[in-house]
This record gives sequence, C-alpha cells and structure tokens, in this order.
Amino acid sequence: MELVIAPQLVGAALAAIVGGLFLLGRGFVGYRAAERIAGIGTSTISGLAVGEVRVSGVVEAAELTLVSPLQSEHCVYYRSTIHDSGRDDATTFEDERAIGFRVRDASGTVRVFPRGAAFDVPVRFSESTGLFGDQPAGLRLRAGAATAVGEPTREAQIAALLTVNAAVAGTDDGDAGRGWSLASSIGTPRPVGLKRYREARIEPGDEVTIVGQVLPFDQLDDPDGADDASSPNAAFGPHGDAEIAADVAAAAAAGLLAPDPETAWGNAAIPGFGIGKPVTAPHLDPEARRPELAAPDAAATARRTFDIGPLDLVLAASPGEPMTIALGRPGAAAARRDSEFLVGLLGGATAIGAAVVLAVMIQGGA
Amino acid sequence: MTPGVAAAAFAVGVVLVVAMFLVFAAYNDVVALERRADKAWANIDVVLKQRWDELPNLVAAVRGVMRFEEDVLANVTRLRAAYAPEAAVRDQAATSQATTSAVRQLLAVVERYPALRSAANVLEMQHEIERLENLIADRRELYNDQVYRLNARIGQVPAVWLAGVFGWQPRPSFTTAAEPTVREPTKVALG
Repeated sequence: MELVIAPQLVGAALAAIVGGLFLLGRGFVGYRAAERIAGIGTSTISGLAVGEVRVSGVVEAAELTLVSPLQSEHCVYYRSTIHDSGRDDATTFEDERAIGFRVRDASGTVRVFPRGAAFDVPVRFSESTGLFGDQPAGLRLRAGAATAVGEPTREAQIAALLTVNAAVAGTDDGDAGRGWSLASSIGTPRPVGLKRYREARIEPGDEVTIVGQVLPFDQLDDPDGADDASSPNAAFGPHGDAEIAADVAAAAAAGLLAPDPETAWGNAAIPGFGIGKPVTAPHLDPEARRPELAAPDAAATARRTFDIGPLDLVLAASPGEPMTIALGRPGAAAARRDSEFLVGLLGGATAIGAAVVLAVMIQGGA
Repeated sequence: MTPGVAAAAFAVGVVLVVAMFLVFAAYNDVVALERRADKAWANIDVVLKQRWDELPNLVAAVRGVMRFEEDVLANVTRLRAAYAPEAAVRDQAATSQATTSAVRQLLAVVERYPALRSAANVLEMQHEIERLENLIADRRELYNDQVYRLNARIGQVPAVWLAGVFGWQPRPSFTTAAEPTVREPTKVALG
C-alpha cells in the first residue's frame, strides 16, 4: 500500500517549525529585556548618581501632555492602531508618540527625556466595531490638538469639567472647512468589515519602571529634541516635519536663529508670562498695564515646570545604552518579558515536535 | 541523511542553541551585575569622601562655642581619621556607621546652643552633612540590593556551574557585623 503525504500536513508542519523558531527568538529577546530590568536595583531619586539606573515611581506631567488619538486621554505616551478588516484588510492608522515627563518617588522627582526609549506598555483599549458598524464603547477620537498643557490651572480644569463635548461624528464631509482632525481623517466606521481599535498609554498617575542613563541636563546631545519621541517623524528631529526641519537648518546655517530664548522670545520666555502671572517683571511699554507677579508658590511651580538647570540630573537614552520605559512596578514589568521566554521555550519544543512529525511523514511516504 | 536523522539533528541543534543562550546570558548577567556592584560601591565612596572633607569644617565652626563638649568633638575627629578607602567593605561599613552616630550626636548637642543654631554657616554645614548622610543611606541601600542580586545570581543554575571557572565570589554587603540581619520582634506586654 502506497502512502501519500497530504501537502496541507507538510505545510502545517513547516509553518509550525518556522513559527516555533520565531517564538524562540522572541523569547530570547524577552529574556534579555527582563534581565535588564530585574538585574539592576531601584535607585531612590534623591540618591541618583550619573550612570545607568533603574527608577520606579509615579508619572507626573511636565510642560505638556499628549492627547491620545483613540480615547482622547491625556497621557505622556501612546501607541495607537486601527486595523480595518474590510476590503483592504490593512492597518489604516498607526501612531506612536511620547513626550517628556517627570517621575516621582518618595524622595523626589526626576525629569525623563523619552527620545530613543523602548516602551513596554500593554494595550489599554482594544475594541472593534459592531456587526452593523456601530462604534465601540469608549472610543472617543481626538478632535482637537494633539498636545495639552501639562498642569492646567484650577480654572481651566473647572472649565474643562463644565464643557459639554459634542459627539465626534467625524464623517468625511462633516468636518469640511474645520481644519484637520483625527476623526475627520479616519472617518466613521463603514458597515463593511470590522475596525479594530487598539491603544496603549502611559498616563499621569501611572506607575512606571525606567532603566536608563542619568546625566546632567547640559550633557544631553539634543535637549530640545530629546523631549519628543514621535516614531514616524523621529528622523526629522524635534520639529517632526521634514520641511520645517529643512527650514530650521537653513536658518541656523544663515545665522538667523537667536542664541537663547530670551533674545528670541523676549517676555514670552519668562515663565508664567503667557498666563498673566510672570515670575519676573517683564519689559513693557510704560503705558502698558503691569501684570501682577506670580506668588512664590506659583512662581516655584512655573520655574519647576519650565526651567531645568544645566547641572540638574535627568534621565535619558544614550547612544550605547537604550532606555526602557515599562508600565508598572519592576516585578510586573520583568514578569511580562519573562513570560515571553517561557512562550519561546514552548515554541522551540513545538518546532522540534513538528520536525519529528514531518520526518515521520516523509519516511512513511517514501 | 535520512529524514529521521535530520529531525534528530534539528532537535539537538535547538536544544544546544537554548543551552548556549542560557550559558552566555548567565555569563553576561553576572559580569553586568559585578560592574553595577562596583559602580554602586564607587558611588558610596564618593559621598564618604565628601563627608570626610566636610567634617573638619563643621568641627571647626562649633569648637569655639562648644568647648565643654570636647569628647563629642574628639569622637567625630577620631572617627574621621579612621576613614580608610582601601579597607574591607565590612570595616568601612563599621567606621561609616560609627561616624554617622557620632555626627548625629554632635548635631543633637548643637541644638542645645542657640548661638550655634542660628549661625548661618553652621546651619549650612548642618544641612550639607544631613544631605550627605541621607545620600549615604540611599546609596548603601542600592549597593546592598545590587550585591544581593549578584550573590543570588551566582548561586543559581547555570551561573553556579560557571562560578568556579570564572572565579566569581559572593560579595559582602555594606553592613556592620553588629547589625543583626533579622531583628527580634518588639515584646509588648498587654494587660
């Protein structure tokens, strides 16, 4: 009797071998990542010394926060995707971005510059459109600016609470003439196919674990750009746009850029000036109304928000030492990557099993 | 090569890759942990040296007023002189702990002298010494944590098999012999 090998079985065995080896490789990467977090003790922020450290604490907003694209939540990092399984079956929207923030532990705070960091943040929002194209609960597409003030004043917070936001329809024609928004660019879900929305975020108040380099602020290669980690535009520097980056480079080459913020912006460089409570007296026309100077508490907050001394220690990535920012306490962050290694070992075992099955099939069929 | 032999070779290859990865990872981890422990120790040493530099200024600033507290001042001076960066970690820990106690005693005595308490230079030095003491405590905690991780890693498979080959030894933590690792629970008499 002649045995015939089913091509589907051979294909499945080969797929299991490739898939198993892929999982094994991913497990190796996860093992190294877990060891990088677990192999270093947590430093207290007040006791930081220059060099590689691990800090763990609560995220606080710095000057600005981001507004997440899918749920419009204020955050310091997001990774959002929309996958359309309709006619195209493709990822129609993908964006990852981070902005500088502070981390606080019981002993103090440290400023974090996220450019070049690797983020380990689980998905926080994962929903799909319904069978009839109805939007999932919790989806609130960003309709305004992508950034917001980091520490809004009490009045601004009250105003935000009392403001009723209209539902974001986001139809292709409904937003015409109102400028660009994520809602208008994505459009409403079509009844054909499902849209899957996924978003991972780090928000102010979340606990994070960071492994990175501590260095004085004046030793950052690019203090301006280090604050912004935007994946699609990282190549264009802090300006996030090739055209603007080229214009800035041309202006710098022509000597048109001011040497410091005071020269460039005048009074606008004084912390608090823009909100009517400058920390130092601005230069004004004698006829102009003199603004009230900020009270000591408010001035301290403004200075803390906007000023970083040249010798202040900050956390950043360096060329040879990438920074890892993981959501959660160190144990939780390391456990997530450790589980990848266990899955990788299972993948290796699966690959071996599939190879044995394939050999048996071939020998049996020979 | 028959399919059976090829499958067996593949299985052996995968197992070997995993084993080699674990061995290389263990070696790299222990080397990295040793470097981190060295760095954590160097960071303590920097602050111990700073405290050593600051103590004579503090003693000189208070000596004139505190002439009746000569034994307190002499104790601080004697312990400062005992600072030896080349000594064993445990000996340095004992000296550091004794210096911290003597400095605390000195600062407590300063509180009894209103003239000193209000002197700007004494206040400034007092704050600096307190800052350094806090820094030593923080960095000592980090060093001990790092040493614990290193010693635990060396004791685990597969690093424990490599320890003999590469001469890895457990390191002492920055604690004095007098400091008990486990404290007796406080006895409370009820009723």
